[in-house]
Amino acid sequence: MERVIELQQITKQFPKKLALNNVSFSINKGEVVAILGPNGAGKTTLMHIMLGLLSPSAGEVNIFNQPPHKRKVRDKIGAMLQDVSLMDGVKVIELLQLFTTYYSNPMPLQLLKQLTNLSETDLKMRTEKLSGGQKRRVSFALSLAGNPELLFFDEPTVGMDIASRQKFWRTIQQYAKAGKTVVFTTHYLQEADDFANRILLLNQGHLIQDGSPEAIKRNVSRQIVSFLTHSPFPFPAFKKLPYVLNIYEKENRIMIETNNVEETIAALFAKNIRIKDLQIEKGRLEDAFSQLTNVEELEGNII
Amino acid sequence: MRVLFYQSMIEAIRLFRNFAYIFWTLVTPLAFYILYTKVFLTDVDNPKMWQAYFLMSMTMFGMMGGSIIAFGVRIVSERQLGWSKLLQIVPIPGITLFMAKIIGQTIVHAIVIVIMFLGGFFINGIELTLSQWFACGVWILLGTLPFLALGTIIGTIKKADTATGIANLLYFPLAILGGMWTPMQFLPETIQKIGKLLPSYHYGNGAWQVVQGGAPEMENILFLTSYFLIFMLISTYRRKKKSLSNVEYIS
Repeated sequence: MERVIELQQITKQFPKKLALNNVSFSINKGEVVAILGPNGAGKTTLMHIMLGLLSPSAGEVNIFNQPPHKRKVRDKIGAMLQDVSLMDGVKVIELLQLFTTYYSNPMPLQLLKQLTNLSETDLKMRTEKLSGGQKRRVSFALSLAGNPELLFFDEPTVGMDIASRQKFWRTIQQYAKAGKTVVFTTHYLQEADDFANRILLLNQGHLIQDGSPEAIKRNVSRQIVSFLTHSPFPFPAFKKLPYVLNIYEKENRIMIETNNVEETIAALFAKNIRIKDLQIEKGRLEDAFSQLTNVEELEGNII
Repeated sequence: MRVLFYQSMIEAIRLFRNFAYIFWTLVTPLAFYILYTKVFLTDVDNPKMWQAYFLMSMTMFGMMGGSIIAFGVRIVSERQLGWSKLLQIVPIPGITLFMAKIIGQTIVHAIVIVIMFLGGFFINGIELTLSQWFACGVWILLGTLPFLALGTIIGTIKKADTATGIANLLYFPLAILGGMWTPMQFLPETIQKIGKLLPSYHYGNGAWQVVQGGAPEMENILFLTSYFLIFMLISTYRRKKKSLSNVEYIS
């Protein structure tokens, strides 16, 4: 596998806050990686370090085996950052054209125009007259202007409506299929679950999890075994079992919350309970997230 | 090279589309010029000479405004709006983008100078030789360098509002004390002493000399060059200090 990003023991100390603490990972070509974490976890700082906008206090970062500020690196990356307004006093089409001159292997202008999803009249509009959503789409097009091998998105879908959001992710998926690498931060767990094949979970500057969404969900100990049964269910006997966390009935189904699925099912058979339609509900990413970061309020389920 | 060309053109076009910029560098100076040579007629010995003299003053007044206020504040607001952050990750060196800003600004300045000169020619029928017009134009254009350098110092100020305030505080005293409004010899003697130390006076005097049939004095060139170097030094120092502190928000 071709290594695209490599971080070794990155620490970033701000005057009043330790933003990143000894973070190491590497990302290979073709991966779509979500950086997740509660507010203040260090997501944006991490992204800025990978982009060479910030230098780490300690540790080493390499993009395409070179320091991130090298021109050769910049030629192969694109980014959509937070809190970046567009250059004013230019028409959208002029801005797109300008950006294609920056790169050695730019994306054709026609393709970029399509990505903004703006009409020919809109393309002739000044950037300062665009709506927030239109600006985001232009920013997205700018990130792709250099036909990059590696893309960074910091909270890309904030402020996008549902249609733009879907179009955005469709484009990203096509891009990933073509073997490009994508790194994005998000608050929306659902986005990470749906579109990333790897999640880096940050909390208070520490990298606390690194794996596929499935693997991270598997780390959630709580799972639910549910089934239908005709015979009366011996609730007290099961409540006593050490690995059973909770039992209740919901829509005629017996629901057993457990941290050991195998033992629970073995117990069901041992007690000769006739069950139908057995289902095992794996943990949700939300659960993993809150369990791992101890964050109560979550901003998920937006899609 | 292609990037430098394209970027410079874009910067020039942006300036032309910026109403406030055109208002302060072209419309206001031209309006004042008409006001003081057509409406309030000053009692001068040689009206034709005064008309040419004041045309140069007003053109340079506009150039200074464009360089100190518009150029400086623009740098600040582009940084504040985050646009310059995106430019930091494109494969173009910062110096190229900075050069393009200067070139774009100079293109616009050159056009403003031509329009001002045409104004003077058609409104008052100013009679200067071709070489005088040319010498004045070149002097005025090159003489903006110290003021652009001053603009880059303004550009290191953190907030756009503060930058605008400070730029205005510098601009008007510089212009008035330098003799852009009332010719130097009519100002009180103390003011004259101060004025003759300022870059604005030496900028103005170069063109005034040409209009009166002479050439810029060596002293003018030396003063402007020194100011240019000092301003560049300060602005480079301030930028270095800034990038070293490297403090950004966390999220």
